[in-house]
Amino acid sequence: MDTSSPAALVNGGLLRMHVGRKVRAVIQVVRSEVGSVVGKSTDDRQLVVKGSPPVPLTSYVEVIGVAENDNSIQAEIWTNFGDSFDTSNYDQLCQLANGEFKHLFL
Amino acid sequence: MQANEFDGNAAFSGGGFMPSQATQTAPDRSSFSSSKNSDARCLIPLTVKQLKDLSRGGESGISIDGVDVNNIVLVGMVSKIDNAVSDCTFRVDDGTGWVECTKWIHEPVDSAEVDVISVGMYVRVYGQLKSIQSRRTLHTFSIRPLTDFNEIVNHFAECIYVHLYNTKLRGGVTTQSQATNLVGGMTTQPQVTNSIVSNPIMGYQTNLSNQFSGEYNTDEQQILGVSSMVLNYLRRPACLASETGVRSDVVARELNISLDKIRTTLEYLSSEGLIYTTTDDHYKFTDA
Repeated sequence: MDTSSPAALVNGGLLRMHVGRKVRAVIQVVRSEVGSVVGKSTDDRQLVVKGSPPVPLTSYVEVIGVAENDNSIQAEIWTNFGDSFDTSNYDQLCQLANGEFKHLFL
Repeated sequence: MQANEFDGNAAFSGGGFMPSQATQTAPDRSSFSSSKNSDARCLIPLTVKQLKDLSRGGESGISIDGVDVNNIVLVGMVSKIDNAVSDCTFRVDDGTGWVECTKWIHEPVDSAEVDVISVGMYVRVYGQLKSIQSRRTLHTFSIRPLTDFNEIVNHFAECIYVHLYNTKLRGGVTTQSQATNLVGGMTTQPQVTNSIVSNPIMGYQTNLSNQFSGEYNTDEQQILGVSSMVLNYLRRPACLASETGVRSDVVARELNISLDKIRTTLEYLSSEGLIYTTTDDHYKFTDA
Protein backbone atom coordinates (compact mmCIF):
# COMPACT_ATOMS: atom_id res chain seq x y z
CA MET A 1 0.00 0.00 0.00
CA ASP A 2 1.31 3.41 -0.86
CA THR A 3 1.31 4.89 2.57
CA SER A 4 2.73 8.21 1.60
CA SER A 5 -0.42 9.78 0.26
CA PRO A 6 -3.77 9.82 2.00
CA ALA A 7 -6.83 8.53 0.17
CA ALA A 8 -9.91 10.71 -0.21
CA LEU A 9 -13.27 9.23 0.74
CA VAL A 10 -15.41 9.46 -2.39
CA ASN A 11 -18.73 8.51 -3.83
CA GLY A 12 -19.53 8.58 -7.53
CA GLY A 13 -20.13 12.30 -7.73
CA LEU A 14 -16.99 13.27 -5.83
CA LEU A 15 -14.68 11.03 -7.84
CA ARG A 16 -14.15 13.68 -10.50
CA MET A 17 -12.64 16.01 -7.89
CA HIS A 18 -9.78 13.57 -7.32
CA VAL A 19 -8.91 12.26 -10.77
CA GLY A 20 -5.31 11.08 -10.81
CA ARG A 21 -5.15 10.87 -7.03
CA LYS A 22 -5.59 8.17 -4.45
CA VAL A 23 -9.17 7.56 -3.44
CA ARG A 24 -11.21 5.07 -1.46
CA ALA A 25 -14.80 4.15 -2.08
CA VAL A 26 -17.34 1.56 -1.08
CA ILE A 27 -19.28 0.09 -3.93
CA GLN A 28 -22.10 -2.38 -4.22
CA VAL A 29 -21.10 -5.08 -6.65
CA VAL A 30 -23.39 -5.31 -9.69
CA ARG A 31 -21.35 -7.70 -11.77
CA SER A 32 -17.89 -9.10 -11.83
CA GLU A 33 -15.93 -9.36 -15.09
CA VAL A 34 -12.43 -10.43 -15.96
CA GLY A 35 -10.07 -7.83 -14.61
CA SER A 36 -12.74 -5.48 -13.35
CA VAL A 37 -15.88 -5.10 -11.31
CA VAL A 38 -18.87 -2.98 -12.19
CA GLY A 39 -20.55 -1.56 -9.18
CA LYS A 40 -22.87 1.08 -7.80
CA SER A 41 -21.40 3.85 -5.70
CA THR A 42 -23.07 4.99 -2.49
CA ASP A 43 -24.78 7.77 -4.42
CA ASP A 44 -26.15 5.33 -7.00
CA ARG A 45 -23.77 6.05 -9.84
CA GLN A 46 -22.18 3.33 -11.86
CA LEU A 47 -18.47 2.88 -11.31
CA VAL A 48 -15.98 0.54 -12.92
CA VAL A 49 -13.19 -0.71 -10.72
CA LYS A 50 -10.20 -2.26 -12.43
CA GLY A 51 -7.88 -4.71 -10.80
CA SER A 52 -8.10 -8.16 -9.34
CA PRO A 53 -10.93 -8.51 -6.87
CA PRO A 54 -10.78 -11.00 -4.04
CA VAL A 55 -12.55 -14.29 -4.43
CA PRO A 56 -15.20 -14.66 -3.15
CA LEU A 57 -16.52 -11.14 -3.42
CA THR A 58 -19.16 -9.92 -0.97
CA SER A 59 -21.97 -7.53 -1.94
CA TYR A 60 -20.12 -4.50 -0.67
CA VAL A 61 -16.45 -3.96 -1.21
CA GLU A 62 -14.14 -1.10 -0.39
CA VAL A 63 -11.58 -0.24 -3.00
CA ILE A 64 -8.54 1.90 -2.51
CA GLY A 65 -6.71 3.04 -5.58
CA VAL A 66 -6.17 5.80 -8.10
CA ALA A 67 -9.05 7.55 -9.78
CA GLU A 68 -8.65 7.26 -13.54
CA ASN A 69 -11.57 9.41 -14.58
CA ASP A 70 -14.93 10.39 -13.20
CA ASN A 71 -16.32 6.89 -13.25
CA SER A 72 -13.46 4.45 -12.92
CA ILE A 73 -10.87 3.54 -10.35
CA GLN A 74 -7.69 1.52 -10.71
CA ALA A 75 -7.77 -0.40 -7.46
CA GLU A 76 -4.74 -1.55 -5.47
CA ILE A 77 -6.48 -2.76 -2.36
CA TRP A 78 -9.80 -4.52 -2.10
CA THR A 79 -11.57 -5.19 1.19
CA ASN A 80 -14.74 -7.18 1.47
CA PHE A 81 -17.23 -5.23 3.52
CA GLY A 82 -19.80 -7.95 3.81
CA ASP A 83 -23.38 -8.12 2.62
CA SER A 84 -24.90 -5.40 4.75
CA PHE A 85 -23.57 -1.90 4.86
CA ASP A 86 -25.17 1.46 5.47
CA THR A 87 -24.58 3.29 2.19
CA SER A 88 -26.44 6.46 3.13
CA ASN A 89 -24.20 6.93 6.17
CA TYR A 90 -21.12 6.46 4.04
CA ASP A 91 -22.45 8.84 1.45
CA GLN A 92 -23.08 11.55 4.05
CA LEU A 93 -19.58 10.98 5.42
CA CYS A 94 -18.11 11.47 1.94
CA GLN A 95 -19.89 14.79 1.61
CA LEU A 96 -18.63 15.98 4.99
CA ALA A 97 -15.10 14.67 4.54
CA ASN A 98 -14.73 16.45 1.24
CA GLY A 99 -16.57 19.58 2.23
CA GLU A 100 -16.83 21.28 5.56
CA PHE A 101 -14.44 18.95 7.42
CA LYS A 102 -11.83 18.37 4.77
CA HIS A 103 -9.15 19.64 7.15
CA LEU A 104 -9.68 16.64 9.39
CA PHE A 105 -9.09 14.18 6.59
CA LEU A 106 -6.83 15.49 3.88
CA MET B 1 -19.79 4.83 44.80
CA GLN B 2 -17.40 7.60 43.84
CA ALA B 3 -14.40 5.80 45.33
CA ASN B 4 -12.61 5.48 42.02
CA GLU B 5 -11.92 8.70 40.16
CA PHE B 6 -11.67 6.96 36.86
CA ASP B 7 -15.15 6.19 35.67
CA GLY B 8 -14.59 3.51 33.07
CA ASN B 9 -18.13 3.78 31.82
CA ALA B 10 -17.88 7.45 31.08
CA ALA B 11 -14.49 7.13 29.46
CA PHE B 12 -15.18 4.20 27.17
CA SER B 13 -18.87 4.27 26.43
CA GLY B 14 -18.19 5.94 23.14
CA GLY B 15 -17.56 9.17 24.98
CA GLY B 16 -15.97 10.47 28.09
CA PHE B 17 -15.40 13.71 26.30
CA MET B 18 -18.96 14.78 26.70
CA PRO B 19 -21.04 13.48 29.59
CA SER B 20 -24.57 12.30 28.95
CA GLN B 21 -27.27 12.92 31.53
CA ALA B 22 -26.66 9.50 33.06
CA THR B 23 -22.96 9.90 33.59
CA GLN B 24 -22.94 13.56 34.46
CA THR B 25 -23.24 13.21 38.22
CA ALA B 26 -20.67 10.43 38.44
CA PRO B 27 -17.41 12.21 37.54
CA ASP B 28 -18.48 15.45 39.20
CA ARG B 29 -17.32 14.72 42.74
CA SER B 30 -13.73 14.06 41.94
CA SER B 31 -13.72 16.72 39.29
CA PHE B 32 -14.57 19.53 41.66
CA SER B 33 -11.27 19.09 43.39
CA SER B 34 -9.09 17.76 40.61
CA SER B 35 -10.23 19.15 37.33
CA LYS B 36 -6.90 18.30 35.75
CA ASN B 37 -7.48 14.60 36.36
CA SER B 38 -10.78 14.63 34.55
CA ASP B 39 -9.03 15.92 31.43
CA ALA B 40 -6.66 12.98 31.46
CA ARG B 41 -9.66 10.66 31.53
CA CYS B 42 -11.05 11.82 28.25
CA LEU B 43 -11.00 9.48 25.29
CA ILE B 44 -11.00 11.24 21.96
CA PRO B 45 -11.64 9.73 18.55
CA LEU B 46 -9.19 11.11 16.02
CA THR B 47 -8.12 10.74 12.44
CA VAL B 48 -4.41 10.32 11.85
CA LYS B 49 -4.44 13.66 10.04
CA GLN B 50 -5.59 15.32 13.28
CA LEU B 51 -2.78 13.55 15.11
CA LYS B 52 -0.21 14.84 12.64
CA ASP B 53 -1.56 18.34 12.92
CA LEU B 54 -0.96 18.19 16.66
CA SER B 55 2.75 17.68 16.23
CA ARG B 56 3.03 20.67 13.96
CA GLY B 57 1.56 22.74 16.79
CA GLY B 58 4.65 21.84 18.78
CA GLU B 59 3.19 22.38 22.23
CA SER B 60 4.52 20.43 25.18
CA GLY B 61 1.04 19.87 26.58
CA ILE B 62 -0.73 18.08 23.79
CA SER B 63 -4.14 19.44 23.11
CA ILE B 64 -6.60 19.63 20.26
CA ASP B 65 -9.50 22.05 19.90
CA GLY B 66 -8.84 23.22 23.43
CA VAL B 67 -9.15 19.78 24.97
CA ASP B 68 -6.20 17.91 26.46
CA VAL B 69 -5.35 14.90 24.37
CA ASN B 70 -4.29 11.85 26.27
CA ASN B 71 -6.17 8.71 25.35
CA ILE B 72 -7.34 8.37 21.79
CA VAL B 73 -9.14 5.88 19.61
CA LEU B 74 -8.30 5.26 15.98
CA VAL B 75 -9.82 3.08 13.31
CA GLY B 76 -7.75 2.06 10.31
CA MET B 77 -6.12 -0.65 8.29
CA VAL B 78 -2.99 -2.44 9.40
CA SER B 79 -0.37 -1.97 6.69
CA LYS B 80 2.68 -3.31 8.51
CA ILE B 81 3.41 -5.47 11.53
CA ASP B 82 6.72 -5.68 13.38
CA ASN B 83 6.59 -8.51 15.84
CA ALA B 84 9.30 -8.54 18.48
CA VAL B 85 9.52 -10.58 21.66
CA SER B 86 8.32 -8.01 24.14
CA ASP B 87 6.24 -5.81 21.88
CA CYS B 88 4.41 -5.65 18.61
CA THR B 89 4.28 -2.57 16.42
CA PHE B 90 1.47 -2.02 13.95
CA ARG B 91 1.35 0.62 11.30
CA VAL B 92 -2.26 1.73 11.18
CA ASP B 93 -3.45 3.68 8.16
CA ASP B 94 -6.92 5.21 8.21
CA GLY B 95 -6.78 6.83 4.79
CA THR B 96 -5.76 10.20 6.23
CA GLY B 97 -2.25 9.11 7.18
CA TRP B 98 -0.50 6.41 9.18
CA VAL B 99 0.85 6.06 12.70
CA GLU B 100 2.90 3.43 14.48
CA CYS B 101 1.08 1.75 17.34
CA THR B 102 3.12 -0.23 19.82
CA LYS B 103 1.53 -2.85 22.00
CA TRP B 104 3.71 -4.19 24.80
CA ILE B 105 3.38 -7.88 25.43
CA HIS B 106 3.50 -8.83 29.10
CA GLU B 107 1.05 -11.69 29.38
CA PRO B 108 -0.41 -14.44 27.21
CA VAL B 109 -3.58 -12.40 26.81
CA ASP B 110 -1.54 -9.67 25.10
CA SER B 111 0.09 -12.05 22.65
CA ALA B 112 -3.29 -13.63 21.96
CA GLU B 113 -4.60 -10.16 21.16
CA VAL B 114 -1.86 -9.37 18.66
CA ASP B 115 -1.81 -12.78 17.03
CA VAL B 116 -5.26 -12.27 15.59
CA ILE B 117 -4.19 -9.16 13.73
CA SER B 118 -2.82 -9.47 10.22
CA VAL B 119 -1.85 -7.05 7.47
CA GLY B 120 -4.80 -5.70 5.54
CA MET B 121 -7.17 -6.01 8.47
CA TYR B 122 -9.24 -3.10 9.74
CA VAL B 123 -8.68 -2.52 13.45
CA ARG B 124 -9.78 -0.28 16.28
CA VAL B 125 -6.94 0.95 18.44
CA TYR B 126 -7.13 2.53 21.87
CA GLY B 127 -3.94 4.11 23.09
CA GLN B 128 -2.02 6.98 24.53
CA LEU B 129 -0.09 9.50 22.47
CA LYS B 130 3.64 9.42 22.96
CA SER B 131 6.46 11.36 21.35
CA ILE B 132 9.65 9.42 20.81
CA GLN B 133 12.46 11.42 19.21
CA SER B 134 9.93 13.86 17.79
CA ARG B 135 8.02 10.99 16.21
CA ARG B 136 4.43 10.53 17.28
CA THR B 137 3.61 7.00 18.27
CA LEU B 138 0.72 5.42 20.04
CA HIS B 139 1.26 3.40 23.18
CA THR B 140 -1.52 0.88 22.58
CA PHE B 141 -3.83 -0.40 25.29
CA SER B 142 -6.08 -2.39 23.03
CA ILE B 143 -6.14 -3.34 19.38
CA ARG B 144 -8.91 -5.45 17.96
CA PRO B 145 -10.17 -6.31 14.48
CA LEU B 146 -13.41 -4.88 13.14
CA THR B 147 -16.23 -7.16 12.20
CA ASP B 148 -18.84 -4.65 11.18
CA PHE B 149 -17.43 -2.14 8.73
CA ASN B 150 -20.06 0.42 9.56
CA GLU B 151 -17.74 1.07 12.52
CA ILE B 152 -15.39 2.86 10.14
CA VAL B 153 -18.05 5.30 9.07
CA ASN B 154 -19.20 5.67 12.65
CA HIS B 155 -15.70 6.45 13.87
CA PHE B 156 -15.15 9.20 11.32
CA ALA B 157 -18.55 10.64 12.10
CA GLU B 158 -17.55 10.69 15.77
CA CYS B 159 -14.30 12.48 14.94
CA ILE B 160 -16.23 15.15 13.10
CA TYR B 161 -18.78 15.43 15.88
CA VAL B 162 -16.24 15.75 18.69
CA HIS B 163 -14.23 18.27 16.70
CA LEU B 164 -17.33 20.32 16.10
CA TYR B 165 -18.48 20.00 19.70
CA ASN B 166 -15.16 21.15 21.10
CA THR B 167 -14.58 24.02 18.71
CA LYS B 168 -18.14 25.31 18.90
CA LEU B 169 -18.22 25.13 22.67
CA ARG B 170 -14.88 26.80 23.03
CA GLY B 171 -16.52 29.70 21.24
CA GLY B 172 -19.38 29.38 23.71
CA VAL B 173 -17.07 29.42 26.73
CA THR B 174 -15.35 32.63 25.75
CA THR B 175 -18.58 34.53 25.28
CA GLN B 176 -19.72 33.52 28.74
CA SER B 177 -16.59 34.65 30.54
CA GLN B 178 -18.71 37.26 32.30
CA ALA B 179 -20.85 34.53 33.75
CA THR B 180 -17.74 32.79 35.01
CA ASN B 181 -17.12 35.67 37.39
CA LEU B 182 -20.72 35.74 38.43
CA VAL B 183 -20.73 32.06 39.30
CA GLY B 184 -18.05 32.81 41.82
CA GLY B 185 -15.16 30.82 40.47
CA MET B 186 -16.41 27.27 40.47
CA THR B 187 -13.78 26.71 37.91
CA THR B 188 -11.50 29.26 36.39
CA GLN B 189 -10.18 27.12 33.58
CA PRO B 190 -11.85 27.83 30.26
CA GLN B 191 -11.27 24.36 28.86
CA VAL B 192 -14.35 22.72 27.56
CA THR B 193 -14.04 19.43 29.38
CA ASN B 194 -13.73 21.23 32.70
CA SER B 195 -16.66 23.43 32.12
CA ILE B 196 -18.87 20.55 31.12
CA VAL B 197 -17.58 17.60 33.09
CA SER B 198 -16.42 19.20 36.27
CA ASN B 199 -19.07 21.80 36.74
CA PRO B 200 -22.66 20.97 35.97
CA ILE B 201 -23.67 24.57 36.44
CA MET B 202 -21.24 25.74 33.83
CA GLY B 203 -22.59 23.00 31.65
CA TYR B 204 -26.04 24.44 31.83
CA GLN B 205 -24.69 27.86 31.18
CA THR B 206 -23.12 26.53 28.04
CA ASN B 207 -26.44 25.16 26.90
CA LEU B 208 -28.12 28.44 27.57
CA SER B 209 -25.47 30.47 25.84
CA ASN B 210 -25.82 28.29 22.79
CA GLN B 211 -29.53 28.78 22.76
CA PHE B 212 -29.38 32.51 23.17
CA SER B 213 -26.33 32.99 20.99
CA GLY B 214 -24.28 34.66 23.68
CA GLU B 215 -27.02 36.99 24.82
CA TYR B 216 -28.19 36.28 28.31
CA ASN B 217 -31.57 36.13 29.82
CA THR B 218 -30.83 37.93 33.05
CA ASP B 219 -33.28 35.85 35.06
CA GLU B 220 -31.46 32.67 34.19
CA GLN B 221 -28.14 34.31 34.82
CA GLN B 222 -29.31 35.35 38.26
CA ILE B 223 -30.60 31.93 39.18
CA LEU B 224 -27.32 30.40 38.12
CA GLY B 225 -25.38 32.91 40.19
CA VAL B 226 -27.47 32.18 43.25
CA SER B 227 -27.23 28.44 42.61
CA SER B 228 -23.50 28.47 42.90
CA MET B 229 -23.63 30.47 46.12
CA VAL B 230 -26.15 28.06 47.60
CA LEU B 231 -24.10 25.07 46.53
CA ASN B 232 -20.95 26.56 47.96
CA TYR B 233 -22.74 27.17 51.21
CA LEU B 234 -24.13 23.64 51.40
CA ARG B 235 -20.70 22.22 50.64
CA ARG B 236 -19.21 23.71 53.76
CA PRO B 237 -18.01 21.07 56.21
CA ALA B 238 -20.49 22.21 58.86
CA CYS B 239 -23.39 21.76 56.48
CA LEU B 240 -22.10 18.47 55.14
CA ALA B 241 -21.65 17.15 58.66
CA SER B 242 -25.20 17.92 59.67
CA GLU B 243 -27.42 14.88 59.18
CA THR B 244 -30.62 16.74 58.67
CA GLY B 245 -29.16 19.35 56.40
CA VAL B 246 -29.93 23.02 56.33
CA ARG B 247 -33.30 24.68 56.29
CA SER B 248 -34.08 27.01 53.41
CA ASP B 249 -34.60 30.10 55.57
CA VAL B 250 -31.21 29.54 57.21
CA VAL B 251 -29.63 29.50 53.78
CA ALA B 252 -31.47 32.68 52.86
CA ARG B 253 -30.33 34.42 56.01
CA GLU B 254 -26.72 33.31 55.72
CA LEU B 255 -26.39 34.33 52.10
CA ASN B 256 -28.50 37.45 52.49
CA ILE B 257 -30.72 36.54 49.57
CA SER B 258 -34.49 36.67 49.50
CA LEU B 259 -36.26 33.50 50.63
CA ASP B 260 -38.23 33.29 47.39
CA LYS B 261 -35.09 33.26 45.29
CA ILE B 262 -33.52 30.68 47.57
CA ARG B 263 -36.58 28.46 47.40
CA THR B 264 -36.62 28.59 43.59
CA THR B 265 -32.92 27.85 43.49
CA LEU B 266 -33.20 24.98 45.93
CA GLU B 267 -35.98 23.42 43.88
CA TYR B 268 -33.93 23.78 40.73
CA LEU B 269 -30.86 22.26 42.34
CA SER B 270 -32.73 19.32 43.77
CA SER B 271 -34.40 18.61 40.45
CA GLU B 272 -30.93 18.46 38.95
CA GLY B 273 -29.85 16.04 41.66
CA LEU B 274 -27.20 18.32 43.06
CA ILE B 275 -28.90 18.57 46.44
CA TYR B 276 -31.59 16.56 48.12
CA THR B 277 -34.18 17.06 50.82
CA THR B 278 -33.75 15.19 54.08
CA THR B 279 -36.83 16.26 56.01
CA ASP B 280 -39.29 18.99 55.25
CA ASP B 281 -37.53 22.01 53.80
CA HIS B 282 -34.07 20.76 54.84
CA TYR B 283 -31.48 20.45 52.09
CA LYS B 284 -28.20 18.66 51.81
CA PHE B 285 -25.53 18.61 49.15
CA THR B 286 -25.51 15.32 47.24
CA ASP B 287 -22.18 13.87 48.24
CA ALA B 288 -22.04 10.10 48.11
